[in-house]
Amino acid sequence: MAPHSPGTDQIDTLLWIGFFAAAILIVAVNGALVYALRRYRASRGTEASAAPTPRRTQIRVGALLTAFAVAVFVVSLVYTDRAREIPASRASGLASASSEPLRIEATGQQWLWRYDYPNTAFSYYRLVVPVDTTVELDLVSTDVIHTWDVPALAGKRDAVPGKTNHVVFRADEEGVYEGRSATFSGQAYAAMGTEVEVISPREYEAFVQLQKAEIQAAQDRVVGLIESGEEP
Amino acid sequence: MSPPRPEVVVEGFPRRRPRWMEIASSAGHKDVGRTMVVAALGFLFIALVELLLMRLQLAVPENTMLTPVTFNRMLSLYGATAIFLFAIPLALGLFYYLAPLQIGARGTALPRLGQIGLWLYIAGATVLYAGFLFTPSEAGVNPLPPLSELAFLPNNGVDAWAAANGLVTLGFLLVAIDLVATLRTLRAPGMAWRRLPVFTWAAAICSWLLIAIGPVMLAAITMLLIDRNFDGVFFAGGSGGAPLLWEHLSWIFYSGAYMLILIAALGAVAEIVPTFSRRPLQGRSLVIGSLVAIAAIGTLAWMQNMLTAPIGIGWMYYAMFLSLALIVPFGLIFFNLISTMLGGALQMRAPLLFAIGAISAISIGLAAEIEHSMVAVAWRLHNTTDATAATHFALVGGSVFGGFAALHYWFPKMTGRTMGETMARMSFWTIALGTLLAFVPLFVAGGDHGEIVDAYKFFGGTGVSGLNLIASIGAFVLAAGILLTLANAILSRTNGARAGHDQWGGDSLEWLALSPPEPHNFDLLPDVRSDRPMRDIREAIAHSSSRRAEPVAPESQPVA
Repeated sequence: MAPHSPGTDQIDTLLWIGFFAAAILIVAVNGALVYALRRYRASRGTEASAAPTPRRTQIRVGALLTAFAVAVFVVSLVYTDRAREIPASRASGLASASSEPLRIEATGQQWLWRYDYPNTAFSYYRLVVPVDTTVELDLVSTDVIHTWDVPALAGKRDAVPGKTNHVVFRADEEGVYEGRSATFSGQAYAAMGTEVEVISPREYEAFVQLQKAEIQAAQDRVVGLIESGEEP
Repeated sequence: MSPPRPEVVVEGFPRRRPRWMEIASSAGHKDVGRTMVVAALGFLFIALVELLLMRLQLAVPENTMLTPVTFNRMLSLYGATAIFLFAIPLALGLFYYLAPLQIGARGTALPRLGQIGLWLYIAGATVLYAGFLFTPSEAGVNPLPPLSELAFLPNNGVDAWAAANGLVTLGFLLVAIDLVATLRTLRAPGMAWRRLPVFTWAAAICSWLLIAIGPVMLAAITMLLIDRNFDGVFFAGGSGGAPLLWEHLSWIFYSGAYMLILIAALGAVAEIVPTFSRRPLQGRSLVIGSLVAIAAIGTLAWMQNMLTAPIGIGWMYYAMFLSLALIVPFGLIFFNLISTMLGGALQMRAPLLFAIGAISAISIGLAAEIEHSMVAVAWRLHNTTDATAATHFALVGGSVFGGFAALHYWFPKMTGRTMGETMARMSFWTIALGTLLAFVPLFVAGGDHGEIVDAYKFFGGTGVSGLNLIASIGAFVLAAGILLTLANAILSRTNGARAGHDQWGGDSLEWLALSPPEPHNFDLLPDVRSDRPMRDIREAIAHSSSRRAEPVAPESQPVA
């Protein structure tokens, strides 16, 4: 799951920092336990010590733990803030989205994602975006809570009915990225996936035009059928 | 000031009804507490069956053993059973049995309240499982609306879930009120708050915590029932309601319950470790203060569970701050528990073994929770099996290792018999191995491969097939270990070695009472003069018998 967006870089780094912070604590607690078990068994003739742990040691351990917690907090704050930064589109990205992010609405519904592009084109399941372009997804839901999760491109976010949530990413390489829905949403939840296809800006323009034209043609055909009286 | 207590207690009317009827109708804290513990262990068994069914389904990719609907029902029942019917009542039952003994009381202050609490819990459990007669809930561990609304799950399952957990929570609340009243009014002469055993402190903290979080859950459940049955829109998104409201209310309860289970376990461990180290608990007041801090901070950090929801970034940082602040009190407790062992003379009996297992597993689970508290990392790891592994390490550490440590430690007090040591050791190592096998692979599957939770199947070729298989095998090992202890308890109930009243040389007052204690607990109680009253009593007895030894000895000479 290599990161392919500036935000996920930061998440990846912070994940490893957190891993080592956790590992330090696990090793410290369990190492001390193992040491106590090996060294202080009554069966080896050890006598219990009457001397209490000095107050100074307690204060030092408390101070050490506080420093550790504060350090983890500050580091997390810095990296989270960086991960939240909205990256600017590159020159090689979509020209019309050079100053403002490309806004696409992602609608979660049992058990499929629908994507609405700025020019009234839409697609199901597969989101198509131009490379090197900042994309902002507006996450909404028409039924239950869903979570949009394409780990290579962005952190996950919930789509909650009645609220709009946001995901921002800038894909730096063309390709197809897999994603899943990550909040339990009923019977077909396990199969509720999504895909992001990253293509060049030129191909993207062509895709949305084609998508729009096809949708228009299909609608025209339906309207024509109704007007000619063949279908009610 | 405590009321004057009678020196002579008359009891022992001949029993006219069968024993089970006596127990079922009794409001004595020992009968109620023991019934609660036994019921909780029974529900542990049922939760295991549900877990194993889910793990069987997840053993191989795209398995079709269970239908999605059956899997979702097992998932929903498992969540409710493990938390509401096993972990919390096990802690409360032990508190209810032991706290009055530890403070030198002859009963509880409001016994009928505790009795009603027990039966509301049993009634709730019955309602949950009566769901099998029609349909159990399919809404998941935490039934988030709108999924749990009538429009998406129109059958009665969610109603059964809500009614059941409402009854159970109400029951817990009543038991907690009785415990608070008892601890405030019935402490023996000299039993100041600062002399209270750590386990009784845990009882007090958990009771107050339940009084804080219980009504929140009851309110949420009531709103859900109104939504589903009376056209309410509390949680209906888009029609004036807010699905996020349920998330807030339910996570306040679940976060508090998480802390409650850990506080109860650490309270028990803080009794067991000193007893078997032959050394008083180090930093006693610091440990107690830390337990209080955990209850407050841990519950206020509920939004740690909502870091992907549409809430402001400020709230996320607030939740991260509080969650990470927990490192200090938990760290101080671990430090003092281990510091008690360092310099002690460890007697490697079953209770200590399980207590060490609890410290170890809880430390791993909570350390892993650090990642889930770091906001940006939570955006990656939220709802992955990494989260499952973290909570299961912490809660298996708390309720299984910690609960079994308490069970082995107080079993002699409750039954007059000790649990078999060999079987206890076998059980401990099996559970330890099972926990590692069942949950370490889930850390990898979630952290490395982003495998999601609650899904009824997974797909091959995503790198998690081997991990899931190991986890499923581990779940069976874990279950085997747990069954060994349950079997050990059942067998030892009648065949265990007889236990004396002071089985382990513990320092708190329950060891003065007989094993099992008389209905009135104590005939006579000396004034409490320290935080180790039982040691004072032992020393006083030793002192008086050595002083009497000289004059008494000649008199006992046979008259020639």
